[in-house]
Amino acid sequence: MKIVSAADLAAAQETGMQKIRPDRPRIAVGLATCGIAVGGNRVYERLQEIIEKEKAEIILTKTGCIGYCKEEPLVNITIPDKPLVILHKVTEADAEEIVREVSNGKVPEKLALCRVPSWDHITGCNIEYGKGFTKIPLYAKVPFFAGQKKVVLRDAGLINPEDIDEYIAVGGYAAARKALTGMDSEAIIKEVETSGLRGRGGAGFPTGQKWRITRDAPGERKIIICNADEGDPGAYMNRNEMESDPHMLIEGMIIGAFAMGADTGLIYIRAEYPLAIQRLKLALAQAREYGLLGRDIFGTGFSFDIGIATGAGAFVCGESTALVASIEGRTGRPHPRPPRLTDIGGGLWGYPTDLNNVETWCNVPVIIMNGSGWYAKIGSKGNTGTKVFSLVGKVDRVGLVEVPLGTMLKTIVSDIGNGGANGKHVKAVQTGGPSGGCIPLRMFDTPVDFENLNKAGSIMGSGGIVVMDEETDMVDIARYFITFATGESCGKCVPCREGLKHALLILNRIMAGKGTKKDIETLALLSDTIAATSLCGLGQTAPNPVLTTLAYFREEYDTRVKP
Amino acid sequence: MMHKESGRPAKKQVTVTINGKKCPAEEGEILLGVAIREKIAIPHLCFEPSLDPYGACRLCMVEVVKRGRKEMTTSCTLRAAEGLEIVTDTPEIVKYRNILFELYLAEAPKSEILKAMAARYGVTKTRFLKKLEAADTLDNKCILCGLCVRACNEIMGAGAIGFVNRGPYTLVGTPYGEPTKDCFGCGACVKVCPTNAVEMEDTGDTRIMKSWNGTKVPLSKCDCCGEFFAPKGLATAALARVIPSLKEEIAVLCPACRGKRIAQEEIRALSGGAGHHG
Ligand SMILES: Cc1cc2nc3c(=O)[nH]c(=O)nc-3n(C[C@H](O)[C@H](O)[C@H](O)COP(=O)(O)O)c2cc1C
Ligand code: SF4
Ligand code: FES
Repeated sequence: MKIVSAADLAAAQETGMQKIRPDRPRIAVGLATCGIAVGGNRVYERLQEIIEKEKAEIILTKTGCIGYCKEEPLVNITIPDKPLVILHKVTEADAEEIVREVSNGKVPEKLALCRVPSWDHITGCNIEYGKGFTKIPLYAKVPFFAGQKKVVLRDAGLINPEDIDEYIAVGGYAAARKALTGMDSEAIIKEVETSGLRGRGGAGFPTGQKWRITRDAPGERKIIICNADEGDPGAYMNRNEMESDPHMLIEGMIIGAFAMGADTGLIYIRAEYPLAIQRLKLALAQAREYGLLGRDIFGTGFSFDIGIATGAGAFVCGESTALVASIEGRTGRPHPRPPRLTDIGGGLWGYPTDLNNVETWCNVPVIIMNGSGWYAKIGSKGNTGTKVFSLVGKVDRVGLVEVPLGTMLKTIVSDIGNGGANGKHVKAVQTGGPSGGCIPLRMFDTPVDFENLNKAGSIMGSGGIVVMDEETDMVDIARYFITFATGESCGKCVPCREGLKHALLILNRIMAGKGTKKDIETLALLSDTIAATSLCGLGQTAPNPVLTTLAYFREEYDTRVKP
Repeated sequence: MMHKESGRPAKKQVTVTINGKKCPAEEGEILLGVAIREKIAIPHLCFEPSLDPYGACRLCMVEVVKRGRKEMTTSCTLRAAEGLEIVTDTPEIVKYRNILFELYLAEAPKSEILKAMAARYGVTKTRFLKKLEAADTLDNKCILCGLCVRACNEIMGAGAIGFVNRGPYTLVGTPYGEPTKDCFGCGACVKVCPTNAVEMEDTGDTRIMKSWNGTKVPLSKCDCCGEFFAPKGLATAALARVIPSLKEEIAVLCPACRGKRIAQEEIRALSGGAGHHG
């Protein structure tokens, strides 16, 4: 079936809604990588076995991850006219009881995390699940969820990511239709510009502006790429965005392609994400079948398709110029800009190319659907919208957290994350992946946005927040990240290649108790040099863990060295 | 692809300022090239005008004022525009450059050229651990500027050498560290290497690329004087691009004897054929 008219879309929406709210109970097991890692598949298989054996009138399906990774495996239960109930820490042993209760129109309350009487999928779809189960806490009262604002993750963990109908049911592809049939390139780019959306890949470059530059670049052909290389240790929000809601990314890319006049899109995804790759491939095939990719989309004459390119595991290939080299089959080494990707001759195969992060693309449909005015009200001035963070490390509530930009660090770590794991005191957080900085507890009133994190000596990066507690050794942390960066340096420019190596040698010496005061001075000067003179972002930011631990935890270095 | 703009119109002349001195330049010209022409010293190790800007050695850092802000950038990737102003020796640049020199001295401790260059900028020793490897085919002199690799790939199209490994383990060499058949023996690598790390030697009818794991290349013998001159493979490759009438001559005569023959023919033409062209 091809979707062309509004009626076609409405028909698919109807089909999808019957899958989300069927006339019988539905059990959806959270099967993103995080859920599978703690036994989600076993729960799913056991449930399937029992449902078949009992011939229970229950629909069993999959969903992605709602972000509360600590509580997984999560299982959603929808019984007609009742609130959706999220069960947590479910094991195979619970399967029998779940099927029995659900068959009787009930839920196993002791497993319940919360209930969702209604859910706003924002893009024009507010699902009223129903009333009841009042003993189970409300979703909005669960501390982990209470401080969050779900925009990009509005569908994650609620719909089946392997079914395009469910995405359409909650308002999916309506933004693409609106853009392609009712707006022109200029109107779309203006909307993205005024929304204030900035790149979520780390640098925070205004997305609308990049789109405009690409569109206006000379050259007949334009290409768009989604950067899904996500190489930061401890960061996995892009993975979840693709595993839990792949169509949101695809829809964002369709709108972008139309605005920039691109006929080809590519998703550059790391090979270490097999499930995301599998779900994306499936989603692309479904979108093609519905005519949402391919020739003459929505009957507008606009043609566009998306391919997948897999990366072979080099962190530096997330950098724009190295990424393009990697797709072209050359060694993934950055080159100096200009030429930028958007320049003719600088992009993929020489065509002007727009590169955006997964989450950047995911923000596009809601901006088009609800308007830039709506979007710009979220977050703070110059830092609009939300950002998804992966809150990991020695924090109590590990998971994916979506909050408006400008939210205070302590809100994320203390209120949503509930502070240190096992009752320990939090000492610092490291934001921005391996090249971020360590921010001490006394600076936890820092608003998390591009500029304020920079001021604190760190970066936004792609959104990893690694929590450290009182037992964490900050010199060892610095050494860990410098080890990572040294191993990932491409080896092209001397400050990054040689400088990081010597920084690591010095850190090893200090850790072994053989360092001197002079070593600390050399380390500081060397780190400064690497940051100031490296060719690409990897080297320019790699010393941040050293520079910030030196600035905020100097005593930990001092007590280790000989005078 | 349209990598280099070919057939572009004549470039506009602009004036750039280097250390307060006004210098004429073509719009879009590489600033480091302008400085070299003007005899303003900017240290550099990875720049070669006939290759695309590479920006790896980081020594050619200068300060430039962009949008009212001072910024450090490499002059080998900076292009001339009207009114552009750069300074080559701010205290900041000196501070960082000295550390880079120290890193180089540790990376290629045996390079005398490098030592002399660093000394010109006042750096005579390094506080970093020196890298000394007995098995290094480049004799602990290579600073991975990539010029040899780029000359081999981009100019000669041979692709005989490349980068191996990455990060601090990067080195330049032939595939699997074995002698390679892809080498023409042109010696471009020897010529471009800024630290004299690449070595070759001609013995009789063979050129030995010592740094490339003893790769051997046969040489052609001159029909006239009997000396061995250019590598055979190179002649074949080069001949493919040359006008047919010249081909034979180049293949069998060394440059010196060919020069003699051209001179003789020229003299013959002048004496015997005056008024030939009307
Ligand atoms: C070493 C390095 C690694 C990077 N890795 C990623 C990555 O994994 N994902 C990403 O989206 N951007 C990454 N970036 C940033 C990209 O170069 C680029 O800025 C970004 O993809 C642009 O998209 P945006 O404007 O949507 O943020 C990396 C940059 C550097 C220097
Ligand atoms: S051998 Fe010479 S030319 Fe080749 S990379 Fe090393 S220093 Fe540069
Ligand atoms: S000459 Fe500019 S970086 Fe090497």
